[in-house]
Amino acid sequence: MAEIELRWASQFPELGTDPVPIDSCISPGIYAHEIERIYRRVWLCVARDEELPEVGDWKVKKLHSLKTSVILVRGKDGVVRGFHNSCSHRGNTVITETGDETFGSSKAAVMACRFHGWVYDTEGQVVHVPEEERFGPCFDKAANGLAEVATDVWEGFVFINLEPEPCQSLDEFLGDYGPHFAGFPYAELNHCFAYYTYLDCNWKIGVDSFSEAYHVHTIHAGSFPNVFSSGLSDVRLFGPHRTCGVCLSLDAKPTPVAGTANARARGSLVAKAEASMLPPTINPSGREDFAFELSVLFPNFLLHVSEGIWFTHQFWPVDYNRTIWEGRYYVRAPETNSERWALEHAQVLQRNAWLEDTQTMENTQRSLESGAKRCINLQDEEVLIRHGYSVVDRYLGA
Amino acid sequence: MSGSLPEKFVDLEYLVPEWALATQNERQTRRGRSTKGELQAYYDALAPNLDAILDHVDRYPLGEMPPDTERLFFLALMLAEISPHVELYNGDPKVPHSFDETRFVAVHGDKRG
Repeated sequence: MAEIELRWASQFPELGTDPVPIDSCISPGIYAHEIERIYRRVWLCVARDEELPEVGDWKVKKLHSLKTSVILVRGKDGVVRGFHNSCSHRGNTVITETGDETFGSSKAAVMACRFHGWVYDTEGQVVHVPEEERFGPCFDKAANGLAEVATDVWEGFVFINLEPEPCQSLDEFLGDYGPHFAGFPYAELNHCFAYYTYLDCNWKIGVDSFSEAYHVHTIHAGSFPNVFSSGLSDVRLFGPHRTCGVCLSLDAKPTPVAGTANARARGSLVAKAEASMLPPTINPSGREDFAFELSVLFPNFLLHVSEGIWFTHQFWPVDYNRTIWEGRYYVRAPETNSERWALEHAQVLQRNAWLEDTQTMENTQRSLESGAKRCINLQDEEVLIRHGYSVVDRYLGA
Repeated sequence: MSGSLPEKFVDLEYLVPEWALATQNERQTRRGRSTKGELQAYYDALAPNLDAILDHVDRYPLGEMPPDTERLFFLALMLAEISPHVELYNGDPKVPHSFDETRFVAVHGDKRG
């Protein structure tokens, strides 16, 4: 075999080139450590600002592995705050949840527990206790607000941190990842198509599947034929986070209906884009074949930006071999009916590609659990995956 | 169902009862239970009319089409659902080598349009 320079291995020698052990994908014990040392300590993205447009709007996000649900509510001062969904009276959920994400709003900007009618304002304070006089003299309403969850917002992404006193601010946690992705018009491109499913796999198997472009010409031979990865560009590691450009050869002429869709709106990742809305940090080497930026905001959030499109994948651990996947695809809202049609075409094709991506995850988990293999082998273009395992090791103190 | 489409598109009238579906979930389900032959026939009927349909729906503001034009729009959306299967998947009504699509929940799936 001819010697090829391993460009990312030489840029990031600390990551090495060894096979990577997979114990953390199949071990309930290691999973428990990950939850305590990673998920309970770091900032986690749980919402978009636009999901709570008005004062009194709320979203409840269930976090299975962390055994809590967090209420995110917009206050009269416009600030989004987070609280555990747990009533100070007898611990019922204040807001009755109808799924993993529950939305609602209150014109009066209050939240009332259905059990006995305790009412809280958007700062978590108890504002009404029915039959308050019957509680003993030691009952202190002011000391019995909702339990707060540290909440902060970056570029419209709402994050929480479950540590009572987070050891890092969100800005510190994001580090250089923050400025790298700042300035993209996320809020302007707010037309969203969202999917979710439960997958029988470890959360890292999911993250890994979307963290390389090596799979494009095999896994996406159906939906994106003749689209080939021409390699990653500009790999950057930002502490626990990582990013790169995904470059694709798009020489193939689109199929007839796809060609009509591409002509009517920018909605597809495998169509050539024109004017740039990308911040200068994205595709700094100016590659002609740059298709989109692929990043992992540690631990579980993948953010991708492209011309006129951004999309996210998020993997929420439920158990060591059970994970919720959420995929969201955002474009500029259509202005005409024909643009709406073109976006439908692009989005349906993207859904199909995601169906191709998710096909491997449960099979991989099942096969790893057989114990047949103790390690996986990663090539140079899978450097983001290699970095991911090294970060998990670091957090676990391995 | 005669006269349920704009006059210019009366030739597509026969497709309305089965294929003019208002939500993406309905369109996805209908595509998934189709035969290869049905998908090809639908594609062959709609694709040559696509540009004319898209020009016609743009005579109205976004989401403000009269019922006959909206039905026509649903037919075009059905083509968006079907065309990858004809153009890319060799007529297979499922996405080849894919995850079980009935397990994918579309948050937007029951939205009209």
